[in-house]
Amino acid sequence: MPLPPASGTGRYFAKAAKSIRLVRHGCTNRPFFHISVTHRKRTTTQPVIEQLGSFDPMPNAFNEKLVALNLERLKYWLGKGAHVTPPVGELLGLSGFFPIHPRSYMTAWRNRQAEELAQQKEAEKASATAS
Amino acid sequence: MISQNSLLKRTLPIVLQSAGAHRKPRWLPVAKSKIYRIPKRPEIIDEERLELLRINNNYHTQMRAIRRFYHEEMIKEKSTLESASSEMSIRVEADEWERCIKVNEEWNAKVAAEREERRKVELAAREEHILGRMQVKDQKLAERIEKAAEEIRNQKELSTTFITPETLEEAIDRALANPKDYNYAIDLQGNQIAGRETPIPVKEKAASTA
Repeated sequence: MPLPPASGTGRYFAKAAKSIRLVRHGCTNRPFFHISVTHRKRTTTQPVIEQLGSFDPMPNAFNEKLVALNLERLKYWLGKGAHVTPPVGELLGLSGFFPIHPRSYMTAWRNRQAEELAQQKEAEKASATAS
Repeated sequence: MISQNSLLKRTLPIVLQSAGAHRKPRWLPVAKSKIYRIPKRPEIIDEERLELLRINNNYHTQMRAIRRFYHEEMIKEKSTLESASSEMSIRVEADEWERCIKVNEEWNAKVAAEREERRKVELAAREEHILGRMQVKDQKLAERIEKAAEEIRNQKELSTTFITPETLEEAIDRALANPKDYNYAIDLQGNQIAGRETPIPVKEKAASTA
């Protein structure tokens, strides 16, 4: 069964709750996401209402993870009362369209803590070998 | 999605592959090996929990404001669109339309001039190409005609020696007067000895063998 087309073929119901979410469109070992609007109760394999952007989570040759956003349509759908899922919220926060997502802060401080811990351990090891 | 009808009318078995979550169905019971397993809860420090609560609350408050802002903007836009059908806006739109048409005509004229130039060049190139081909064809035809003329000339020269009904008797007489024997023999050395009546040169042979 082929994946549903990129945009615009999903049935639209005005009163159903919408969700702006990531839809995986890559293949095995190569993730690639579309940022799409769908009904909240639809699965990610069903046709979407509209595609709003794309997200490539694998860093390219310049160590960049590329995100494309259609901000005009994003504003339109937010005005319509669409919900935003946490991963998309994080991306929008990093792009400056939304405030920074709490999860971004959390991952940042946890990474920092882990790094500090690793450095401490290394220093201890170095001191142990010196003595 | 594949329609039910096409599935029923299929001639070959189809392997369907669906991309999605591969999980145990919800109604299956807990596996026996996992029945008393209690997953470990994540340990969150009190300080971190309070911080998370604070930033989450902030985030949700800000998000509510943003969402309300876009919702109100959408309503405003809708109302302005509805009020845009006044006489003033119609005149503005008509002017805009006129301007657009003018620009479009300018572009069309420019593109038409460019196209005319390009077509002239293309036509000249095509004419040259066709003329070249015609020349080559003419040359080939002339060559063929010359070759045929040469052949005819040769045949005419040969035709003086042909045997005609008038010269037939003479030719027969000549043939009878000069009989030719086409038979020949070959000895072991490969020497041809022409004629049926020619004596074998025994002496020569003996000399060669000796």
